[in-house]
Amino acid sequence: MLSIKNLQVAIEGKDILRGLNLDIGAGEVHAIMGPNGSGKSTLSHALAGRDGYQVTGGEVLFDGRDLLALEPEQRAHLGVFLGMQYPVELPGVNNMMFMRESLNAIRRARGEEELDAVAFMTRVRDKARLVDLDEKLLKRNVNAGFSGGEKKRNEILQMAMLEPKLAILDETDSGLDIDALRVIAGGVNALRSPERSIILITHYQRLLDYIEPDFVHVMVGGRIVRSGDKSLALELEEKGYGWIEEEAA
Amino acid sequence: MMTADLQRSWVEQLISDANAGLPGQDLAWLDSARADARQAVAELPLPNRKQESWRYSAVESLLKNSFRPAPDDVSELQALDLQNWLLPAYEAYRLVFANGHFVPQLSSGALLPAGVTLGNLRTALAGDSEWLARWFGQTANHTEHLFTALNTALANDGALIHIAAGVEVDRPIEVVYLSLGQETAALVQPRNLVVLEAGAKATLVERFIGSGEAGYFNNNLTEIALRDGASLAHYRVQDESRNAWHLSSLYLAQDRDSRYLGTTLAFGAGWARTDYNTRFSDQGAACELNGLYTAGDRQVTDFHVNVQHSVPGCASRERFKGILFGKGRAVFDGRILVDKQAQHTDAHLTNDNLMLTRDAEVDTKPQLEIYADDVKCSHGTTVGQLDPEQVFYLRSRGIAVDAARKMLCLGFAGEIIDTVELQPLREYAAGRLADTLNAAVVEE
Ligand SMILES: Nc1ncnc2c1ncn2[C@@H]1O[C@H](COP(=O)(O)OP(=O)(O)O)[C@@H](O)[C@H]1O
Ligand SMILES: [Mg+2]
Repeated sequence: MLSIKNLQVAIEGKDILRGLNLDIGAGEVHAIMGPNGSGKSTLSHALAGRDGYQVTGGEVLFDGRDLLALEPEQRAHLGVFLGMQYPVELPGVNNMMFMRESLNAIRRARGEEELDAVAFMTRVRDKARLVDLDEKLLKRNVNAGFSGGEKKRNEILQMAMLEPKLAILDETDSGLDIDALRVIAGGVNALRSPERSIILITHYQRLLDYIEPDFVHVMVGGRIVRSGDKSLALELEEKGYGWIEEEAA
Repeated sequence: MMTADLQRSWVEQLISDANAGLPGQDLAWLDSARADARQAVAELPLPNRKQESWRYSAVESLLKNSFRPAPDDVSELQALDLQNWLLPAYEAYRLVFANGHFVPQLSSGALLPAGVTLGNLRTALAGDSEWLARWFGQTANHTEHLFTALNTALANDGALIHIAAGVEVDRPIEVVYLSLGQETAALVQPRNLVVLEAGAKATLVERFIGSGEAGYFNNNLTEIALRDGASLAHYRVQDESRNAWHLSSLYLAQDRDSRYLGTTLAFGAGWARTDYNTRFSDQGAACELNGLYTAGDRQVTDFHVNVQHSVPGCASRERFKGILFGKGRAVFDGRILVDKQAQHTDAHLTNDNLMLTRDAEVDTKPQLEIYADDVKCSHGTTVGQLDPEQVFYLRSRGIAVDAARKMLCLGFAGEIIDTVELQPLREYAAGRLADTLNAAVVEE
């Protein structure tokens, strides 16, 4: 479903991803772990198509299509979703209105009917319950004045609304207390399906207690240096990243 | 002839022709105001860029035209279908002016609630003009500013609104200024007076609507007096034609505990300027001025705000936001003066500008002059672009780049649009802004 071959990405002329390979099948959950600065967020932004991330080599195929040739919105239309590590605030942009525009833009691009106001409301209420998001936050501006945890819930709410084929969740767990973590993990688990693949970027093995990955990868210096099953995460938890960094050096 | 002489000559020509056809020539109080104004026009220097208040305003593009008064005959316009311009779902008491002249057929006549007087200057001068004599020219300083003097010297027609003490008007009062099929260089000078007696409460909407290609000049002036405890919400929508010149001079006199909420939405005209002047006579009064402006290619839009706190315990709040694109230009000049005796003044001013293109330009100049020591005052201005991170966030959710930019612009403007407490007008403003931004995207 997603095939990343020898991906190289530079930011402002500085090489960040240095030949990254990753294959993800339909319905699989892949965790990517790694020390700060190893390039995890760079990978997620490059996959979503953010400006300023220069692809200097390699390719990414998404259902056989050249993902890197597409605009960010086109990637979203195909079913790529990025849950951001630091969701931005959008002053003056109403959260509910935003989600409706987003959903309907994607539906239009796919030749589907737009959801009317009533159908949309029913759906958004339903999904907000899934991530235990206070309905009041739907009426506020996007992420404006939200706490860290509320922002992350809002990201997962959008994932639930948009039902992507590939969800990249960048440190969705960071800054969450254990109760919030459980809720978010519950939301993500409810969205697992044979057609939906998930890349779970995390710093801590803690999240993986709640969302069980099929594969675990370790990223160091812009490459995946080791892959395994969930026992690899436990090993990292125990020994830290030092030994892998040394091996990779 | 030198350019300055040429510019001078049309102004002087206007003045020397002045008496022809002006109403109320038999009224001594009016005659003397007009005479003072005529003299001021003759003596005041023409506005030029060496004067601080005209430094950024490109006034020479206005002055190089030889404006002549618009023809008196608006009989053709009386058959207009006003529905073309009215907002849906919206009941108002209405005064309509076409090319500067009152159109009774399109205005609300009878059936006004007790205590509400709506009228026009020309008619009032021919009848009982006693209250007019009391208020005309009291807040506007017609010997200090050329365009105010010009408006006064040629005062001809305009809206008159008087609300009696304690009366709360049940519907908005709407004044519509239509400029249609104007000749090039036609001069239109609405002269308005709004008086709310003690404890009166009203909502006033002014809409400036122009169509056609002609480069007319609307030099309008409004005097507003709010007596003790009166409260006025005043919304102004400037939709002049893209070749027009528009100058609004507002003079506001607020008595004890009065409230003024003013929001201007400036979309149209090629050259537009609004001057707000506020004075407080006693404590407890509050003045809130909000503005939203857009400017694209061949558009200059300009706001001058001058709030004088010369008595203690009054509040003023100014919030102005601009969205500029193409080669659009804007000027914001916000001055708050707090005199020594104006203790416990609460005055805050902000001006934020969103530049959608590199060629757009803004000159913003907030000035806080504070001579009192126990006050709460602040000011701040920003000039910025759309945040790429915000644009990316929206695009990553499937929203096309143009739509994403538009959504963020509307979000930016929302704070000002939301100060309009009439829903149909708020919706109109959001729609008008969206259309403007659509056109801006096409222009780029
Ligand atoms: N906008 C940027 N400009 C310059 N360098 C950047 C930028 N974003 C990230 N980097 C650099 O890229 C490297 C990888 O960052 P990032 O992908 O955020 O790592 P991670 O998410 O794994 O912590 C770091 O060295 C970081 O400093
Ligand atoms: Mg990161």
